[in-house]
Parts: sequence; structure tokens; C-alpha cells
Amino acid sequence: MAEIRLKNVTKRWGDFVGVQKFDLDIADKEFLVLLGPSGCGKTTTMRMIAGLEDITDGEIWLGDRMVNKLEPKDRDISMVFQSYGLYPNMTVYENIRFPLKVRKVPKDQHDERVMKAAEMVELKDFLDRRPAALSGGQRQRVALARAIVREPTAFLMDEPLSNLDAKLRVSTRAQIKNLHHTLKTTTIYVTHDQIEAMTLADRVVVMNKGVVQQVGTPTDIYDKPANTFVAGFIGSPAMNLVDGELRDGVFEAGKVRVTGLPTTHNGKVTLGFRAEDATIVPEGGELSAPVYSMELLGDASMISFRVGGELVSIKAAKDYRAEIDEQVHAAIPAEICHLFDSKTGARLGA
Amino acid sequence: MSGTSMIARRRSRTLATVSTLFLITWLIVAAFPFLWTVWGSFKVESDFFSRESWLNALFGVYTEMQTGAPFTGDGYYGAWITRDFWRAVVNTAIVTLCVTVISLTIGTLGGYALARSGHRYAFWILIAALVFRAMPHITLVSGYLLPFFELNIWGHLATSIVVLVAINQPFTLWMLHSFFLSIPKDLDESAMVDGCTRFQAFRWVVIPVMWPGVITTGLFSFLLAYNDFAVTAMLLSQDNQTMVPKISSFLGSIQEQGNVMFAVAAVVSATAPLFLLVMFFQRQIVSGLTAGAVKG
Repeated sequence: MAEIRLKNVTKRWGDFVGVQKFDLDIADKEFLVLLGPSGCGKTTTMRMIAGLEDITDGEIWLGDRMVNKLEPKDRDISMVFQSYGLYPNMTVYENIRFPLKVRKVPKDQHDERVMKAAEMVELKDFLDRRPAALSGGQRQRVALARAIVREPTAFLMDEPLSNLDAKLRVSTRAQIKNLHHTLKTTTIYVTHDQIEAMTLADRVVVMNKGVVQQVGTPTDIYDKPANTFVAGFIGSPAMNLVDGELRDGVFEAGKVRVTGLPTTHNGKVTLGFRAEDATIVPEGGELSAPVYSMELLGDASMISFRVGGELVSIKAAKDYRAEIDEQVHAAIPAEICHLFDSKTGARLGA
Repeated sequence: MSGTSMIARRRSRTLATVSTLFLITWLIVAAFPFLWTVWGSFKVESDFFSRESWLNALFGVYTEMQTGAPFTGDGYYGAWITRDFWRAVVNTAIVTLCVTVISLTIGTLGGYALARSGHRYAFWILIAALVFRAMPHITLVSGYLLPFFELNIWGHLATSIVVLVAINQPFTLWMLHSFFLSIPKDLDESAMVDGCTRFQAFRWVVIPVMWPGVITTGLFSFLLAYNDFAVTAMLLSQDNQTMVPKISSFLGSIQEQGNVMFAVAAVVSATAPLFLLVMFFQRQIVSGLTAGAVKG
């Protein structure tokens, strides 16, 4: 059990910057999710913590040890890989036991600990099979069991669910959450799936192009995105972003006009709001435009409009229907709006 | 039964007959030279190399006249006992075993390092290896001859082992390198996180998965050393000769009666182990040649 501290950790390959000055304290027992699109440096960050990648600059501390120069085996962490990394020539039992064996844990403990780990991930019936004879979900659970069997200081998980089908992903996600609750081990979890991030994390780190964009609880990140990148990445659908002019608290952009914005900022801004916060109204409203398309989601209808070059979506009641090109009004009150600087993308105001 | 399936059945039977006939013909054509040699190795020279009639080789007219039986082991006795072919067999065993073991040791370690290295020079090392692989063996040998005389190491088994390893190594490196590339990096990395050093991960996790590749490459190394003529003929003294140059020396002096038959008998003796070897390792070789079967 230990906290993990990253001090200005940087990774460069020649001129290419993989991770830029990553600075973060991860608390003991925390579930931290690194979230971002592919190539954003999240996996590199994790690999540096694991010791599989050299650190160009900065320091990584596990508890009170600086681990920059330590081999992966000396860092006392375990990792679950995207492709599971199971040993094909060993049975499930041998796979799970492998960390105990190489770490010279006394032999008489092996059986008990392997059984305990296998039980936690419901693998007891498959112990004598080889990985090739298992389904994707079962292989994933073997990888989990192998990670938990030696009770390390921290777990690292690199997109562990991305090779599973949608249904299995949901149940395995719940299982991971439950495991963390039981074991209370510091966990760092890498994903590009924002739903995984929202459901699992105590805190989320959103990254893009090697730079940390925002660190916060899932609620923080959802309710107060720090910039347009986070706003556009989090949520399904992502936040609507409209470029326009702000003057004396009035935002204008073609078909959108929002008044009463609590800000003194003037000039070019980006206005953001979430599809589920806005509502379709019979008349009036801040937006008035012809319908571009309508999608039925089952629990709601998604109406989209073209505003400037962007597509803006608004969630309506599930029995709401509108024809394409029909003129529709929507209420986008100032309270639900987020303002961002057009140039830097940074959030304006609180 | 409907008419179409009758036709289909008849057609598939014709096809089966034709392809079986073809395979049998092919098998005979392919195996004939070897079978002919095996048969002939139990005859005397005036039968096997008869000027009167090639049928003599089949029925062994002179063999019966000279030895009193249709088959004779004279060729084998002459080669193995009189002319010390057994010594060549021992030498070949030493050379091939050493070449295979050394090539595989360097090849697995080097191939693994090159496959996992992110550095650019890994690529250039492989390209350089390819150039050396492409050179005819004899170019290396002729360059070595003088220094080996000067250093007084010419003629020893160890010298030709070193040269054969040098010739073989590029190939082993390439072959094992591509085998290692087909093994996901996640495998060694998870072993390292689980508590292995790089070498332990290699030894306990990667190599067990690599067996088919190692065996296939090992077999090719073995065959290269086993079949080599250019290096062993030039670099080994008379006493240290391996089988292939020894056979060639039997052929080279045809003044004496029976020497050619020594060669024929020796050829058969040298070929038989190869059949056993390939048959014994055939499963590993097939799975090695269809690599990629290593994914978990």
C-alpha cells in the first residue's frame, strides 16, 4: 500500500514529446484513471511507472522510494495488459502462480494464494486449462488473478477491457470496481473510453498530446471541463461547442443567441452546453433552426442542428418527433452554458 | 440419391484417382535416385557401374560371380573399416553438434535482442547479416586460408566450426529474429513486471513458446554443417575430414577397384540419419515453418 508521486515526469523520443511534465500525487488506495485519445501519452505514463519505459526527465516515487532507476521487477507493482500477456505454455494455475514462483514466495503458500485469487475472479473451474482454451473474458480474468495474487503496492491496468465485447465489458468493469473495493490497492487504469473512466475512477486525469488537460473527480470533469478538449471528449454525446461573439453578457452566433451570461468577458468565445441540459420548446428559446437529423435512442430522441460549421445535438423526450428541415426552437438558458476562450480553449469564469 | 450428387461423387472419385496416381509417380521419380543408390551400394562396382547392361545393377551378375551372393557388404566394410569412414562420422558429429549449439545460442540471444531493440542500428545489423549470408561460402574460405596457415590453426575441427558458425549465423539471426517478432512484446513485459529479469523472462517465458522456431532453425543449422563441402574440404586435414569431403576423396581416386563403391556406401550411410532426423522432428518443423502459431 503506498501513494505514487510523479514529479514533472517527461518522456521524449528525439524531438517528439510523448509525455510533458506530468505532475501528480496519487493517494494510497485511490483509483486513478488516465483518459485520453490514442497517442495522448497515457499508456507511456503508465509504462514509465511500471518501469517498462525509461524516464527522460522527472521523478517517480512509489511510497518513499524513488524508482526511476529500478527494474520493473523491483518496483512491486503488477500490471494487466491490453492483450493479457498470458503465458501460452502454462495452465491457468501456473499462470497465476508465476509471480509467486519467480519472486520465491515459500512454496507452501502458493496453492492457497492462487486459489484465493482464482476465486476472486471466478476462475476455479478452469485452473488446468491453457489460455488458448479460454474465451476472451476468461483470459482477462486470468490476467487479473495473476495481478492480484501477489498483493502488490499498486495495480496498473492498460486498457484491460478493450478486447472484450460490449456486454462482457460492462460486467468485467463492475468486477474490477468490486475488486478494488475489496483489495483497496492503489490502481492506475488507462483507457480511452470515457464511460469506463466515469464509472471506475476516484479521480480522472484527462490527457491530450502528452499534456495533462485536467485532473479531477468524474463529476468535476463532467460539470466543469477545464477546456474545450475536455468538454469535447467527456460525455456521450460530447458537449456541444459553438464559436461566436460575446458582448455584455450576450452570446451570439448565427442561429444561437444566449443572454444573461454572468461574465464581463467580451470578444470571440466558444460556448458549450450539454445535449441533455438543453430542452426543446414550442417557441422562443435561444436557438431556432431547421432540424438536420433526428435519431431515436430508445430512452430519448436526439435532435441535431447545423450551427455554423458545427453539429449541435439536443436531447428531447423519447416520444418527441420532428421532421428533417422542420423549424424547431430550443431553450439554452445561461445557467447551463460553459464559456471557453476561442484561442486557447481554456475555460472562462468558474 | 439425386443425379447431380452422383455426378459430383463420380467426379470426385476420378479426381482422387488422378491425384493419387500423380502423387505415386512423383514419389517414385523423387525417391528413385536414392533408392537406386541404396540398392546399388550392396553390389560390386562392375555391376553398379556396368558398361554391358544397366540391368546388371539390378540383378548383380558380377556381384554373384565375385562374392558368391547377390548382395555384398564389401562397400560398407571398405569404407567404414578399411578407409576409416567411422572417423569422418565422429568428426561430422562433433562439427554439426558444435555448429548447431553455438549458432542457436548466439542466434536466440541475438535474434531476441534485435527483435526487441528499438534502436535503428538493429536494422543495419540485420542488413549487414544479409550481405554476408548472400556471399558464396568459398569467398570466406579462400580469404581465411593464409591467416589460418600462419596462425597454425589450419586443419583443426575447431577452426572449421568457427568458420561454419560465421557462415551460418546471419541466417540463424534472421530466422530467429522473425520468430521473436511474432511473439507479442506483452509476454516478456508481463514476465518482467511479474518479477523476472530480462534474461529470466527470455529463459522462462519466451523460449518455451519459441521451441518450434528454435528446432526449425537448429535443423537448418545442422543441415548446413552436415552438408558443407567448401569449408570442410579446404580447412580440414586428412585425419579430421568430415563425411562429405571424405566421400569426395573416395570418388577422387578411382584408380583402385572398389573405391567408388566405398563412396556409394558412404553416401548411403551419410543420408540415412537425415531421414530419421527429419521424421523425428517433423511436427516441430511444420509448426515452426507455419509460425505465428505461438499466439496465446
